[in-house]
Formats: sequence, structure tokens, C-alpha cells
Amino acid sequence: MNEMNITSAKYMAHSETGENDAIKATIDGMGYTVPLAIGNAHYAEIMRQVDAGELTIAPAEGG
Amino acid sequence: MALSKIRSDSLEDTAIHGNRNLIINGAMQVAQRGTSSTSSGYQTVDRFNVHKSSFGQLAFTQTQVTDAPAGFSNSYKFTTTTAETAVDAAESLGIRTALEGQDLQQLGYGTGSAKKLTLSFYVKSSQTGTFAIYFYSADTVRIITRTYTISSANTWEQKSVTIDGDASGSIDNDANESFQISWCIAAGSNFTSSDSTSWSAYSTANTYFGHAQNAVVTTTNATWQITGVQLEVGEQSTPFEHRSYGDELARCQRYFQIVGNSSYFAGNGVGSASISTGIPLATPMRAEPSVPDTGYAFHRSGNTNSGTNSVTNVTYATIGASNLQLRVNFGSGISDEVAYVLNAITADLQLTAEL
Repeated sequence: MNEMNITSAKYMAHSETGENDAIKATIDGMGYTVPLAIGNAHYAEIMRQVDAGELTIAPAEGG
Repeated sequence: MALSKIRSDSLEDTAIHGNRNLIINGAMQVAQRGTSSTSSGYQTVDRFNVHKSSFGQLAFTQTQVTDAPAGFSNSYKFTTTTAETAVDAAESLGIRTALEGQDLQQLGYGTGSAKKLTLSFYVKSSQTGTFAIYFYSADTVRIITRTYTISSANTWEQKSVTIDGDASGSIDNDANESFQISWCIAAGSNFTSSDSTSWSAYSTANTYFGHAQNAVVTTTNATWQITGVQLEVGEQSTPFEHRSYGDELARCQRYFQIVGNSSYFAGNGVGSASISTGIPLATPMRAEPSVPDTGYAFHRSGNTNSGTNSVTNVTYATIGASNLQLRVNFGSGISDEVAYVLNAITADLQLTAEL
């Protein structure tokens, strides 16, 4: 029932640790930095689409 | 005063009590993002959004306007600017709001004493006819629908519908989305073919059962407006519970808030590219927010490497009760462990933790 149109998703790495700490995503035509947080509706929908095989998150640059 | 002088009905559950409206911004007063948009999603009036499938030709605006029934100052208005030739089976569009599960525990869903809910609202449309509303329980993936009829074109009418409590599924006690209400503007046949007038497992086919009027999207310049939305426990609608603008704004800021352009934040250099900064929040947010990329630039000043940079990204966000930590990536030119002051100079910083 959340019909977000997510056209791109890419992990972003922490500048010091190199670990993924956010996702850069285009959602309904708008760019967002999305935290890796369960309660965030954007993150929940990204992961739902990943689990459903509808979306792939590109690795972070240098990752 | 003697107790005998107090009207006994004022102490009963049937009396009208305050703080009974479960809807936030039901009077459409707050529009932090702006007052007009041609896009879907949360764009204008807080807590209300256009959600839709793909359409062929449809173009529309969603706006906050001052046309409202007596006692109200605003309404939410949907206007079709380019008509859809015909609504295909797989096309639908609704105006939706959503609620957190922890705010609905009083309903007793999943028990034999699940309570009824009554939704009341004022509506005005250029198109008369029968429209559907769905009530969707996200935790149990169950749905119930009701319909209402607009009798007179371009006239404010107050409507009220009541739904039964759902004894079959409980509502999670958390800060996530548990309940959606959507006023259907248009629905193709894929969404209306299965009866959902009692609580049922959700399927596409029962999303907008009973919806019979798609002319709002198939008629250029057709309009649909709403305000005075109230959702309350019980089977009787009561007069709209007006709240102050400040009260509604604070409630809305739990889901979306703007950190104004020209604000100053203290920061600390991290490595050679980033500055960590703490941003005070107007009210605690529901969850760690997403940050839209809207071309922010910060001027940084400190005891080394002052300058102005476009922000390449915000790479890290943690949230506490009263502040948000952001790591702002400037790409280069930062000195590690050096104090900076960041000044947002090009755009408001928009934080969204919508359901």
C-alpha cells in the first residue's frame, strides 16, 4: 500500500570507516539520503523492494 | 460545589472529551512544504498526500487553499489540470493520511472488544457521485471500505462514516505505520471488484470497493476538496476538535520539519572531507529522517579553511530526542578535529520521517 517509485539506490560509505551508513535513492522523482534505520519509511520500502527482487542497491564508491 | 450539582453525563464515556481527534492537521492549517504542487506524495498540506498508480495523461495540482466551510480557514484541494482520457483497470488515485500504531492501542484491535471508529469530514467537489474511502490496517494487512455521496456540485457537505473494530488482528505498539485512510479520487476496475464492507484480507480487488465516480480525473478543471477531518473512537461523530496552529505544527513536525536557511550549526571536522554537526530539532521526530537533495550549500567558518561549498551529500544521520547529527560531506578541504561553524546559505534543510 506504499506505492513509492524508487528508480535508483546506492549505498553511501562513511568517509572514515568506509562502512555503509546511508542510501542515496531517487524516490518518486526526488533524491534523498536515506538512513539505514528500520523506522524510516523510505528505508523500509527500499528493503522490501530488494527482498522482492524489484530493486538492487548499488555498492558505495570504492566499496 | 456539591457533587450533586455536577451533571452526571459529563463524567460518562458518552460525553464529549478533548483530544479525541486521532487525525493530525485535519483542518489543513499546516503546509510546511508549500501551498501548491503538481507532484504526488507529500507536497503541500502536512500529513496528507496524493498516492497513485501510473496514469496516461493525468496532470493535477494539490494545493492548500483558503476556501473552506464556516469555522475553518483552509482546505486541501485536488485539481485536474489535464484530464485522463479514461481510467484504466489498473489505475487508481487517492488522498491519504496515516497513523502510528502506538497512538491506536486504545482501539483494542485483535480482541473481542475492538472499538468502532467514526470518520467525519467536509468535502466539496465539482463532480457529484459516490466515492470510496479505505481504512487499511498495515500490521495485519486487512482492509475495510466505506462510501459517501457528494450530492451537490461545488458545495461543502459534511460526511460521516463508521467502521467496526477489527477483532482479528492487533495493532503493533510502535512508531511505525499501522493505519491508513485514503479518500479515493479515481479507481479502475481492478480495485473495486471485491466486497470489503467488513474487515477482510487486503487485496488489490477490494481496495476501493464501492467507488463509482472517476470524473474528477477525467474532467479538466474538476476539483475535490476536503477539510475538518476527524477520526474518533465510537460510532457517533462529534463537532470538529479545533486545535491551535502551534499545536498542529508541533504534531506535524514529528514527521517533517524544516531547518531554515541561514541557520548556524556548530561542527567538528572529520578527516579531510566531512564536518559532523548537530542540528536541534523543533520536536523529536518519529524516526531517523531522510534528507532530500535540494542543492544545499554551507558556508563553513572556523580557525582554518573557511569557505563556501556545495554539499556533495549528507552521509550520516543519527537522531536523539532533541537533535539530529548529520555528517556533511564537502568533498575536500576540511581539517580533522577542527571546530567549524556551518551556515546554510542556499536552501532549507528538509527532514522527513513520514509514515
